Amino acid sequence: MTTGKFYHTTPIKKVVYFVYPVILVALWLGSSSLNMAFAQSKVTISGTVRAGDSGENLIGVAVQIPALQTGTSTNTYGFYSLSVTPGTYTVVYSYVGYQTLRREVAVTQNTKLNIELPASTQELGEVSIEAGSLEEKLKTSQMSVDQLTTREAKLLPALFGEVDILKTLQLKPGVQSGGEGSAGLYVRGGGPDQNLFLLDEATVYNASHLFGFFSIFNSDAVRSVDLYKGGFPAQFGGRLSSVVDVKLKEGNNKRFSASGGLGLIASRLTLEGPIKKNKGSFIISGRRTYVDVFTNLVNKVNEDDPAYNPIPGYYFYDLNAKVNYDLGQNDRLYLSGYLGDDLIGFRNSGFNFDFNWGNRAGTLRWNHIFNPKLFANTSFTASSYRYNITNSLEGFSFNLTSNIKDLSFKSDFDYVPGNAHTFKFGVQAVQHTFDVGRLKAGSEDNTIAFSSGSTFTGVEYGAYAADDYNPSPNFTLNYGLRFSGFTNGKSNFNGLEPRISARYALSENTSLKGSYTRMMQYIHLVASSGASLPTDIWYPSNKTVRPQRSQQVALGISHLAGKGKYLISNEVYYKRMQNQVDFRNGAQLFVNNNLDQEFLFGRGRSYGNEIYVEKKEGRTTGWVGYTLSWTYRQFAEINEGRWFPNRYDRRHDISVVAIHQFRPRLHLTGTWVYGTGNAFSVPVSRIILQGQTGNNESFVPIYTERNAYRQAAYHRLDLGMVYKLRPKRGESDLTFSVYNAYNRRNPYFVYFEQLKDDADKLTIGFRGRQVSLFPVIPSVTYNFKF
Amino acid sequence: MRIRLTKYSLFWSLLTLSVLPYGCNMEKNFEVDLPVMAPQLVAECYLEPGKPYRLTLTESTNYLAAPDIPLVKEATVVIFYQGRPDTLRYAPFYDKFSRKYYTHASITKMQGKPGDTYRLEITDKQGRKLTGTTTVLPVVPLDTVEYTYNDRKKAFLVAKFFDPGNTANYYFFSVQRDSVNNRAEIDYTADDQISNGRASAFGTGYDFEKDDTVFVSLYHLEKPYYEFFNSVEGARDANGNPFAQPATVISTVQGGYGVFTNLVYDQKMIILK
Repeated sequence: MTTGKFYHTTPIKKVVYFVYPVILVALWLGSSSLNMAFAQSKVTISGTVRAGDSGENLIGVAVQIPALQTGTSTNTYGFYSLSVTPGTYTVVYSYVGYQTLRREVAVTQNTKLNIELPASTQELGEVSIEAGSLEEKLKTSQMSVDQLTTREAKLLPALFGEVDILKTLQLKPGVQSGGEGSAGLYVRGGGPDQNLFLLDEATVYNASHLFGFFSIFNSDAVRSVDLYKGGFPAQFGGRLSSVVDVKLKEGNNKRFSASGGLGLIASRLTLEGPIKKNKGSFIISGRRTYVDVFTNLVNKVNEDDPAYNPIPGYYFYDLNAKVNYDLGQNDRLYLSGYLGDDLIGFRNSGFNFDFNWGNRAGTLRWNHIFNPKLFANTSFTASSYRYNITNSLEGFSFNLTSNIKDLSFKSDFDYVPGNAHTFKFGVQAVQHTFDVGRLKAGSEDNTIAFSSGSTFTGVEYGAYAADDYNPSPNFTLNYGLRFSGFTNGKSNFNGLEPRISARYALSENTSLKGSYTRMMQYIHLVASSGASLPTDIWYPSNKTVRPQRSQQVALGISHLAGKGKYLISNEVYYKRMQNQVDFRNGAQLFVNNNLDQEFLFGRGRSYGNEIYVEKKEGRTTGWVGYTLSWTYRQFAEINEGRWFPNRYDRRHDISVVAIHQFRPRLHLTGTWVYGTGNAFSVPVSRIILQGQTGNNESFVPIYTERNAYRQAAYHRLDLGMVYKLRPKRGESDLTFSVYNAYNRRNPYFVYFEQLKDDADKLTIGFRGRQVSLFPVIPSVTYNFKF
Repeated sequence: MRIRLTKYSLFWSLLTLSVLPYGCNMEKNFEVDLPVMAPQLVAECYLEPGKPYRLTLTESTNYLAAPDIPLVKEATVVIFYQGRPDTLRYAPFYDKFSRKYYTHASITKMQGKPGDTYRLEITDKQGRKLTGTTTVLPVVPLDTVEYTYNDRKKAFLVAKFFDPGNTANYYFFSVQRDSVNNRAEIDYTADDQISNGRASAFGTGYDFEKDDTVFVSLYHLEKPYYEFFNSVEGARDANGNPFAQPATVISTVQGGYGVFTNLVYDQKMIILK
């Protein structure tokens, strides 16, 4: 039995585990007591800020009192709290895309001010990128975070016209895609298993459809996404490299509306409206692809042709639903759910094959305002991912399935004793159930019967406390500590995860920032390749498979230029990763009751520099990002124990994104990306083998150095145009996209081909071949709302 | 009206254009400079009960080298059985019956019983030395071979056998049409992790028709050969599969690449009625 243990062997780790908590508590207690004494003569202005047109909570609204040179911003649930001495003040609420609102208020006691911000009346408002103003980004201690709204993503050109918020995130510095057309994320050298995807707080275990080409996040249902690449807030844990926090729309509590779109490969429909006006609302949104409709027709036409092999039917769908209701002045309840599947079916003369995979996620959330200084969010979530393969022939059947199921409880508190401190603390517990490689196969008469599979359970838990401390306008410190652990009854693991970030203002327009984070990951993805496949399964830590760990340090400088129109930032990061997972040569990952034996353990390191220039307002908005980075792994059993570059090690990565409002109803958009070619392995020599049966000779490649070669550089220009129509009722637009506008043949993979003589089919030579996936692809989507 | 027509024309034009690119050729050549690696010995030898020793000895070459067969002429190849050495003579030939090329052969026939061990030793004038051992396994008999037709008059086969429960077993299953020397219609390997000590079966798809003559073979493999076989498949698959990881060939021999094993099998011939 493995007992709970802290990983502390070096002096540095001793500082982390023992000295840091002591400093943290002393700092917290000292500053809090001072603050409380000071706060006794103060009163509080608090409330929520919502959108005037829909009633949805607005996140990150700047709430300022210019006369006092103080301010705050709304939290994830639209709540804010400011402490002031009694008096009369003008409170200013501002948020990009909405009208700035000024409220004069005489404050003699704790005052509640719930605000509804009117949407901007200017056309400009429609192209403004809402997620966090540049000034706010400059002034927060939070670094290494990218924020995006669906509105922003919808303006950009997309592959097959399918707007994908994860693919838009790939345009941010420090984020690599998993390859041509892929929605996978590789953040600062981390693997695809090291991203925590949250959909309204519920974990999503496989965030992609169609073998990774599309994400599960329906752009009509999603409101915004925050991607944390480093400097992780203490409330997040469980993955090493990123947190992708996706928030769904809440539904319009003012009026009913319907919106949707018709695209080349899928259509969408969303209905939303009030349950009771200004009290509660609902939203239900669905998306489905329809390639199978055409393939079924083709199969039907050819069904009498005995030589015809039917095309397997394939489609995916997503269904999001959410309701919320105000239970009173201080309570609000939310219930949201997600259901999505990919389905492949093939039936032909006694042969029946089905392959389905998908996610389920549900969240019940309760917001409660205890008092003007204390806000709580409590949630129960359930989520699952499973794949299921069934195959049957006359008298025989085969069924293979794997899944992971979570039940989770989480409670988070925001405590704002004064303007200098915002405390966050909370607890979380997740019950995991893993069904791994569950196989049933055999004959109907039961003379042949196979079965295998394992079920594991485990509880992952965490508790955290953090303080966003603003001792002066020039200095902000966010310090926190997370304690996390995992137990499966036989093995227990736990660890302390310090989180620190700070910002120091060199001038009104320039800030220095720094952060240090430590992360633990207790569950692992058993993946047979670098791509996101539906058969990838999750596996718990145990006495053989130890938790993954990482530490990351980041330093940055941000500068607001051009009278606040441009934010220029530069971040340098270094990340170390321990207990990294790979699999031994020829590992059997599908049906294996001893999966522990297939794991390899190693370490990783990545470092780089990210430059980012962003413009959020005006007729032309967008950003330019450049990343210079290195990513390596080391395993004793791979590459003879030498360090090797990760497949997605990308020395140079450039993204240029531009959105221009050409006319009030016409937006032109463009993105250009450039990346150093992926690292890949080349067979340096070959052997010839005939096999045990004759007439079967073949050349077998011999691989030596892992990922020692580079594919050609990747670059691509996408162009888009959004033209707003003038329907008699509601709104509509046509969105045109041209993916890969200059038809670049980007490498998807490379291989060596045997050249054969036309006459006798004998091999006469070898050559390298590069395969590309997508040429220029124009598409058009019709979107409507009424 | 003019604008509307333009819009719809544009819509349909884009729709058509979006399909057209799939006719484009999405492959092209790429150049790569490969390092020169020292050639290593490659041996391939499958001992079969009652058949003479035969071995193919070549060496590895640069991947992009000309596709000549790199023979190793001046090597000494010896197989030891019960301590007795048997030197195989260098005489490259093509066996029309097995449709295989051999470089070294002996008239000695394999007579080993289950549990007996054979040892291979190859040395050459460059000082290279390749060694390997193989232990004879017992035959796992096929109990029955059944077939079932679908509505298109295609049949699938099911071969049933009983897996010995006292050991970990590895199998190679193959079905050949018309002759045991034809390329297999279907073949694959499997272990007994989910069928240890129980009735088990291997099957095919709807690949066969009435009057087909099929040879169904169940080979009982040594673990090293099972791993070699799958690693070779993995290495082949890695060249051209964007989802595969580069796989290393796990040889059953030391000092080079290749396989030295014995093949014990049960075989049934069926004519589909």
